[in-house]
Order: sequence, then C-alpha cells, then structure tokens
Amino acid sequence: MPYPSTIDGIIGAWVGAFLTLAIYSYILYKETRVYRFAEYLYVGSSFAVSLAISTTQIYKQIILRIASGEYIYIIGVILGLMLLTLPFKSVRWISRYPVAFLMGLGFGVTIRGALTANIIGQIRGSITPPGATATALSWFNFAWICLGTLLIISYFTFTVEHTGWYFYPTKLGRYILLVGLGAYYGNTVQFRMTMLAGRVEYLLRVFKIIPWP
Amino acid sequence: MGEGQTIWEKMGAIDRRILYWALFISLALPYIKPLGLPVSIAETSYALYNYINTLGPNDVVVMSIEFGVSAWSECLPGFVAVSKHLVQRGVKIIYWCVGYTDCDLTMEAVMARIPQLKGPGQPAGPGDYKYGVDWVYFGYIAGGETTVAQLADNIRNVLRTDKYGTPIDEIPLMKNVNSARDIKLVVDSTTGDYGDYYVRQWRMRYGTAVAEIGIAMNYSTFIPYYQAGLAVGALKGIRGAAEYEKLIGEFGEATISLDALNISHLLVIIAIIFANISYFMTRRKGGVR
Repeated sequence: MPYPSTIDGIIGAWVGAFLTLAIYSYILYKETRVYRFAEYLYVGSSFAVSLAISTTQIYKQIILRIASGEYIYIIGVILGLMLLTLPFKSVRWISRYPVAFLMGLGFGVTIRGALTANIIGQIRGSITPPGATATALSWFNFAWICLGTLLIISYFTFTVEHTGWYFYPTKLGRYILLVGLGAYYGNTVQFRMTMLAGRVEYLLRVFKIIPWP
Repeated sequence: MGEGQTIWEKMGAIDRRILYWALFISLALPYIKPLGLPVSIAETSYALYNYINTLGPNDVVVMSIEFGVSAWSECLPGFVAVSKHLVQRGVKIIYWCVGYTDCDLTMEAVMARIPQLKGPGQPAGPGDYKYGVDWVYFGYIAGGETTVAQLADNIRNVLRTDKYGTPIDEIPLMKNVNSARDIKLVVDSTTGDYGDYYVRQWRMRYGTAVAEIGIAMNYSTFIPYYQAGLAVGALKGIRGAAEYEKLIGEFGEATISLDALNISHLLVIIAIIFANISYFMTRRKGGVR
C-alpha cells in the first residue's frame, strides 16, 4: 500500500498520529488537557461506533425480519424493552425476567459444550499417555502435566487441613500454580508490548521514517 | 533525589518517564534497522500449518475476526499470514465477526495486505480470489456464544445476506454450506473467549477443526484444548505470526515487529534485574523494608 495520497487519508493518518502521541503523553510526560481530550474522544467515538453498529444490527436482524412476517422475533423485542425498565425503581422488577431468561439461555448454550470440552476433554487429555512413537520429552511433559494437575488440585482441597504430610503436596502445588501464573503474566507483558510496538510502528510510518505497509 | 543517596537508591528511584522513553526508543530502532533475529517455530504453529496443508480448493474455512483495531499489532499479522496460506492452497474462505463492531476496518486491512482478495465487483484475474466464489464476508453478527451456536446449527438461520446485501442463496460459495458440518476448519482470531465458544459449539458438537490466532495472554488458556486434541493448532500473538510468516515463506510485519518485541523484553529484563539489585542492596543498608 502506498502512503495515503487523498486529503482524507492524509488527515486521518496525521490525526491518528496526534491522538497516539496525546494518549502516550500521559506516561512519557504527565497528564495534560491534550491527554484528556484524546481520552474522552476515544471513549466517545468508540461508544458512537458501537451504538451505530448495534442499531444497524437491530434493524437488520429484528425489524426487517418482523416486517417480512417472522413474528417470532417480537418476543425478542418485548424482552429487550423489558430490560429498559432497569433504571426505574418502581418497575425495575420487570427487568428481572429478561435477565433470568438471558442467564438461563447463556448457561444452557454454554454447558452443553463446556462439560465435554472443559472437563471431560481436559481429563482425557491429561491422563492419555503419549503414543508408541513418542519422544522422551513427550513422556516428561505427560508426567509433568499429570503430577502438576494432581498437586494443584491438592492445593484447592479445603476439606482437609494443609498440615502434616499433606502440607508438602499442597505447597508444591502452590509453586506450580505460581509458575503457571508467571507464564500467563509473561504473555500479558508480550501482548502489551506488542500493542505499544504497533503504535510506535504507526508513528514511524506516518512520519515517513519507514514505508507504509 | 536527595544528596547522600547511594547508587543503588538512585537506581531504584529512576523516574518512570525515563524508562518509558527508553522503551519507546528501543521499540522504534528495530523498525528502522531490522535485526533479523532467528525465529524458532512452536509445535502449535507447525500443527496449524500442517493441517491447512491438507486442505484444498473444495474445502471451506471460516476465518472469525474477533479482535478490534486496537489489537491489530498482535492479531492482524497472524490473521493475514494464515489467510495468505489459505489463498496459496486455494481454500474457500468465509470471513465473519461475532465479537467486535469495528471488524469492517479489519477486513479492509486484510484486503489491503492480500491483493488476491478481490472485493465485490472487482475484476479477478488468474490466481485471484473472486468475491462470492472463492471468498465471502458477512461482517459483524451480534449475539456472542449464542450466535456461534446458531451458526453451527444452521448458518441461514442467522445470516440472510452478506455484508454487501447479497442474499446468501445467491452467493455461489454458500451453495453447499449450511452448518458447521460443511466447514473444514474455523480459525478464530481473538482477544477474548471466542476460541472457547468455537471449541464448545463447533468442535464438541460437530467435530469441526478449530484453531486460534489469539493474543499472547490467550495462548496459556487455549493450549489445554490443543493438548487435549480439541484444537488443531494455535498462534501465540505476534510471535506465532512471525513463525507462520516463516513457514509460508512470506516475511512481513510480524517478523519485523518480533525484533522490536525482543529488544523491549530485553530492556524489561534488565530493568527487573537492576530494580531487584537496588531493592536488596538498599534493604541490606537498612533502607526499604
């Protein structure tokens, strides 16, 4: 792609660069009015885009379908309108019905796959030994996962006091858990750094220090 | 910083703005002068690459855009690399989005990076992907996991037209595509839980292969699915994207970004080491406790 050549493209690129610097001015300098302006603009524009898209969705998925004779969708409209009673104290009780419906639906949809994917599948994955052609590393990983799982479960067993001989596996389970959380945190750092790297790359492109992608 | 402070105390009290500037500059340098640091390939990236290599022009793959513009730097390069691989293999592609309202911008960015993807009405030459025949885009679909479940059961219950208003029955690619049974693979690129949704609703109920191009944080939570045989692969953020670029032989944005990421991680590690030395040395002298 070449560098933007149209007026709106050039303005868009430079406004993006200005707002990026405005947001990062908070950590690179201090909180200023420019930072606040960029922050409020971000929140406002994000909300505006979401509202516009949601409205379009309601029109396409609900209104057009009802208009074409699919009256079953009126139930959804009624439930949606009932949710809007939430801010009004005297009729707030009405909103509990669609909330209950949503919770039930969400739970029902989720549970049918979750039981097999998150419980049975995970247990099967943890206790199935590697195949005949597996390497020593695969066997080590298998043993490590099995042992680690049992030790972490022991840490979360609260019906037995973590004293005496039971103290050691729970302690070890806690350390394994901390290693896991450390890896998770390391991945979080990677994600945040990549986001920052993306903005730095964008600025370099707008300032024509590196080519446009 | 007052007088009489030791070097350790001064080190522990460095203004955070200096560190942020150092980070900012260290991230910028590899973009200006790429270092070309070596990239080793993870098993999960290989697995996805190998799985896609088994697909061909008669297969249909769903590419689910579950990341917003703010996560482009982490997810877009991997999403583009996998899309390029699918184009290389001639696989039919369906793009849609169940989670982020700004996915039209992401789709534009994907099209800009893969010139073979020709939009509606654009002429398609040999090797190009003709819209409606080789690929299609449905845009944003509201509803979260409920919608993912509905799409698995019957795509036509949810989608009546594509993003540009063409009725689904008039799209040649969709002629024989009705449910998750007709899809060979769904690649979900996400900053949230959408990978879980596809595993629960597509993999567990219909056996459709699922893979994820997630942000790095998601990798830790998605990897148990791979280990349990419920996912065919996963890319770990920008790192996974760089690995995939290497696998398909098309070095791009991720490979350069990974240099910047390596340098920034080095800076963070150095900062952690010096901060800890400062802490322990100061404590030994009766300072911080």
